[in-house]
Amino acid sequence: MSAEDEFERLWRRIKEVEKSIRDYVEEEFRKTLEDIRSELRSIDRMLMPSWSHEGYLRPLYTVKDVGNAYVIYIDLPKVDEGSIDVRFKDNLVMIRAKLKEGLTLSNWSSRGSEVRFYEYREVIELPIRIDPKKVRVNVKRGRVQIIVPKE
Amino acid sequence: MEIYREEFLGDFRFVEYKPFRLERPAYAVIALPDAGLVGVIGAWHIVKSLKLEEVGGIDSYSFLPPVVVVSNKEIKLPVRIFAKDNLLLIYSEFMLPQVGMVQLSKALLNYIERKGVEYVVLMSGIPIQNRFEVEKLRTYYIITSPRALELLKDIEAVPFENGYLVGPYALLLKESIKSRLDSIMLLTESFLEFPDPEASAKNVEIFSKIIGRPIDVKDLLEQAEVIRIRARDAMKNVVRNLAQMRKEYEYTPPLHI
Repeated sequence: MSAEDEFERLWRRIKEVEKSIRDYVEEEFRKTLEDIRSELRSIDRMLMPSWSHEGYLRPLYTVKDVGNAYVIYIDLPKVDEGSIDVRFKDNLVMIRAKLKEGLTLSNWSSRGSEVRFYEYREVIELPIRIDPKKVRVNVKRGRVQIIVPKE
Repeated sequence: MEIYREEFLGDFRFVEYKPFRLERPAYAVIALPDAGLVGVIGAWHIVKSLKLEEVGGIDSYSFLPPVVVVSNKEIKLPVRIFAKDNLLLIYSEFMLPQVGMVQLSKALLNYIERKGVEYVVLMSGIPIQNRFEVEKLRTYYIITSPRALELLKDIEAVPFENGYLVGPYALLLKESIKSRLDSIMLLTESFLEFPDPEASAKNVEIFSKIIGRPIDVKDLLEQAEVIRIRARDAMKNVVRNLAQMRKEYEYTPPLHI
């Protein structure tokens, strides 16, 4: 093997190591950023009331990273299952669903007792762009499962 | 809120609104927020079904948020104590920080022991990852003494053989053993992040058999959707605290058995 070949081989190896270090740092940076964003989202969700004077409720939801996909579970008690409308835009999942009947908080709380609620509304942010053709949506007993493949 | 008696146990102030005495054998239920709010939803159903009276409350300036509960125009303390006949029930929708939980567990068990309680029943959910699909829920039990096991004869629950339990009930179990109290922990499969009244109903059915008093869960199941709506905010707050306690550790199989 000539000195030039040897140098070429060494240079390729350096490039490979450099790429793997860069990939590792980028991946760690992406994960940290995702954790911070998720923490900020959860603080935001905690401080936001779960209902609006405009007559809608915000449902409970959870997002799980299951390796090859993100799975979103949304709890929609008293929902009219036929009215569940799930839409996707970039990395956002937008959900709207009507309640089986209008609902007030008057029996439970003095806060918001004057408001009547007719539907659920929520926008959920995922860390990836969503391909709507690959998404699967399942509904069971007022709970929704949305499977968003990563690729 | 009239005060008949009050005492301090650690940083917790125990208040009784009226005198009460428990008949024998006395049972205590401690319901604290945990997976799917299974314990607190079930406990509230027991309060309503058996028409338990609110006899006291617990407060703490160090560990509880600055909050009062307004119930039918009356001011109550955040942790509520109910009682009737041979049953004492302690109920909180508020989750304490971890340090506070340790102190509260000790104080609660000290209090109920002095009230002459013989058996402690703890009811909660055990989160399963496929709860979305599962309809028939399984209930597990953990006991702290052979005497507690006698109450579980002919009851549809299986022993919790191996695994971890994380959160307020883990502390109560540890303190039960330390205080030599006969305790039973019922754990029904549930959601972690969503209120799960179906799991609560399963626990209440078993509890009803343990104490030998009928408690109908039909109403609880019929109202399940309404409860899920009402419990959204409480659940939201609990999930964050459970995450800090590393609740997800319950999914981990132990390294050695």
